[in-house]
Amino acid sequence: MKRMWEKGWQLTLSLIAATVMLAGCGAGGQSATGQAPAATTNTSSGEQAAQQTEAAPAVVGTLSFYTSQPDADAAALIDAFTKKYPDVKVELFRSGTEEVISRLLAEAKAGSVKADVLLVADAPTFVGLKQQDLLLSYQSPEADQIPTELRDPDGTYYGTKVMATAMIVNTTQVKERPDSWQVLADPANSGKVLMPSPLYSGAAAYNLGVLTRQETFGWDFYEQLKANEVTVTKGNGAVLKSVAGGEKAYGMIVDFLAARAKQEGSPVDLIYPKEGVPVITEPIGILKETQNPDAAKAFVDFVLSEEGQKLAASIGYTPIRKGVEPPAGLVPIDQMKILSADPVELEKTREADKKRFGEMMGGN
Amino acid sequence: METKLASIKSDVQSLERRGSWGFPPLSAVILIKWLSTLVIGFFFVYPIIRLLLLSVETNQGWSGVHFAEVLRDQRTWLALDNTLWAVAGSTVLSLVIGVGLAWICAYTDIRGKGWIHLLALMPFIIPSYITTLAWTQLAGPTGLLNKWAAQLAGEHLVLWNVYGLDGIIVLMGLSHYPLVYLLTLAVLYRIPRDLEWAARSSGARQWQVFAKVTLPLALPGIAGGGLLAFVSSLDNFGIPAFLGIPEGISVISTLIYEQVAGFGPDAFSRAAVLSTLLGTVALAGSGLQWLIVRRAKADHTQSDDKSVRFSLGRRRIWVESLVWGFLLLTSIVPFFAMFHTALIRAYGLPFTPENVTLDNFWFVIAGNQSTKQAILNSLMLAGLTTLICVVVGTLLAYWRIKSRDTLAKGLEGAVSVPYALPGMVLGLAMILTWIEPLPGWSPGVYGTIWLILIAYVTRFLILQVKSSASTILQVHHEVEEAARINGAGRLARWRSVLLPLYLPGMLTGAFLVFLTSLSELTVSSLLWSSGAETIGVMIFSLEQAGSTVYSTAFSTLLVLLIGMAIAGGYWLRQRWERRGSHE
Repeated sequence: MKRMWEKGWQLTLSLIAATVMLAGCGAGGQSATGQAPAATTNTSSGEQAAQQTEAAPAVVGTLSFYTSQPDADAAALIDAFTKKYPDVKVELFRSGTEEVISRLLAEAKAGSVKADVLLVADAPTFVGLKQQDLLLSYQSPEADQIPTELRDPDGTYYGTKVMATAMIVNTTQVKERPDSWQVLADPANSGKVLMPSPLYSGAAAYNLGVLTRQETFGWDFYEQLKANEVTVTKGNGAVLKSVAGGEKAYGMIVDFLAARAKQEGSPVDLIYPKEGVPVITEPIGILKETQNPDAAKAFVDFVLSEEGQKLAASIGYTPIRKGVEPPAGLVPIDQMKILSADPVELEKTREADKKRFGEMMGGN
Repeated sequence: METKLASIKSDVQSLERRGSWGFPPLSAVILIKWLSTLVIGFFFVYPIIRLLLLSVETNQGWSGVHFAEVLRDQRTWLALDNTLWAVAGSTVLSLVIGVGLAWICAYTDIRGKGWIHLLALMPFIIPSYITTLAWTQLAGPTGLLNKWAAQLAGEHLVLWNVYGLDGIIVLMGLSHYPLVYLLTLAVLYRIPRDLEWAARSSGARQWQVFAKVTLPLALPGIAGGGLLAFVSSLDNFGIPAFLGIPEGISVISTLIYEQVAGFGPDAFSRAAVLSTLLGTVALAGSGLQWLIVRRAKADHTQSDDKSVRFSLGRRRIWVESLVWGFLLLTSIVPFFAMFHTALIRAYGLPFTPENVTLDNFWFVIAGNQSTKQAILNSLMLAGLTTLICVVVGTLLAYWRIKSRDTLAKGLEGAVSVPYALPGMVLGLAMILTWIEPLPGWSPGVYGTIWLILIAYVTRFLILQVKSSASTILQVHHEVEEAARINGAGRLARWRSVLLPLYLPGMLTGAFLVFLTSLSELTVSSLLWSSGAETIGVMIFSLEQAGSTVYSTAFSTLLVLLIGMAIAGGYWLRQRWERRGSHE
């Protein structure tokens, strides 16, 4: 028995020793590579810097890319980009929009933004970052192919795709295809309607801002929804689950999720109501503190180029560039009736809108 | 007794000063003390301070304006009220279920203890969003329960709706009872049975024995588990988000997320204020726990005694049906709800032969390159976290219990705060701290896997501290004094006396730390970087992309793997014990 203990003890000790060594190596190795672009005293990074200035326009080095796109989409984009620019190593951080922006803002608070390129959510989010002076102004040569209302005139961000918020219905429960948003406010459908919460979903907050600024809807529409016992859930994914699962019959949802589920065979249908749809554009922008502006610019140009837009379509999104075919089940941008509002104003009133919504829905 | 011990202590201390018996000299002890304070202060307290500074920081310098604003807001008080009810209610529920189940498993002749043990851990392993989803399908307004009730009654009838504060309480209670169960179980086995016999033979009834003997002796474990359940409920986000938001009910953790997700210029400041509120509640809970544990009794310690102490007799079948019914409802049904989703071609389709497929499992195993990397990363992270926590946590618990130091008390409180904060907040504190921990010094851990390791250790150390403490409290200090008087040096004392006695609590803690860090989700989703993805990050990504069928397939695989690991460990331990008894 005692021998066994001794053995166990030795094992523990050697494990601890191994851990300490491992942690030491890892930290040392990482700090050398992680700090290379910033440090100038380090000889190896000095050489790297010299190489960069020699081949001035060459696109090389590492590029830190923060995004909220789904994993597979981000991977496809990076793959295609590195095929074209094999000397760039793209480092990815992918998470929810909230997590990505929080991390970015925390980095800014700590005094050192690590991201080079950012691709998330919607225009008002970028307006906020622009106002905090975190974004670089860049006039992309591809800019004139992007509708003016879907990009920043100062070039700090560009829309990359069109994601409309449309209506999803459960086909086993709804036999007649509705064509208007008003069906959600119809008392006949009381308790059967579901929407993502603007308090948690950035896209839903954007939709709230846009819809309440339309004459046909306004806050009255949301009052009617409340009277109709609308269920407010965390995000678009939850809306899809509830409607596909049959818990609810109607929902407001971002179009590609519904189209995808429909094609995979879920019992749902996607409808673009005749009044029009609010769209978010998942803009892309370059961070002001970027360590590698050449690669960052090349990346943005690539995303907006015909090649990049075809890639977006092949993944399942409506391209923002005119003349590129959307995937099956979605309508092209020139056939979409877009409801919009000024992003600067939306950014300003977003908090107030959300608060009003929270009090309206939760104030019981 | 106390004075006698004190005199022995002073004798020993004078010997220590002379440096005999292989003790390190006193100055070294003090040095170690201050060094560990410094380390714990740096890793645990400093990030919290960096975060707290945000709450008083404005463009014009320091000010309490954010506090004033948040505290004036009616919603803050509503949320605090909801939080206190939810946390108190769910902790009581966890305690009742956890202690009851532990007592039945430890002392009675119920059959299938190994299976009960495994199933009782399920709520802890299955991600809470899965459990919550299963319960909404079961007890939502149009769920099975209410459908049946309506059919039986012949009219529209909602028997129980899981949405709302009551649902939050029940689900958090059900998710966190394994903490109480595990810590109590480890302690119950150690209670000498002769004490219970003595009480029985002097005419005490079974419930009196339980209340007067078992309960006070098991208090370290019960209170420790209760505190962990309490703190877990404080930071829980998934359950109140799922069940509270549709009903307009917010708790502090969902309110914090709402603030952070708002990205406004003051978002972090308001989140920091709310975090201060949560931290205060957690510390108050920690203080309360120590008041309770002070009354705990330690007694002559013996090694684990797993024999049957109470025969259920004819009642056995009833107790068994009750326990199995409960486990069926709380462990097996959620698991099958998850498994069933993972088998379906597309979410929402009926469960018919043509819709059933194994493709989803295939996709997460082979169709995705990062899956293997994520599993390896998580295993590595969980292993290292466990190793560090077992050593540091046990030493901290030992120091806290053996000395009456205010310093040690303070450190233990500090270690509990990172666990009580929502993962998002802790992640932010980690970013704020570790990019440049001290002006001009960037260690380069930010953006690497090592930051996740630091974050895990910071977050989960309290699990180990509480588990180790539960057995350390049970071992009377006479044991150690005896070893000391018999001439055992510090190292020998630990190796041949203390470690074997502390082992059950240490293992419980290691187990908890390993499981929680293996499937950790929120902190990793904020801190990971290329090549450092974890299992949690993968599940989070799949779930966010709306690929529920894939995320459930991944979770199912995870649960099966963990279940196999537990079963394997159980089998090994049984073999070990059998061999031990032959020796």
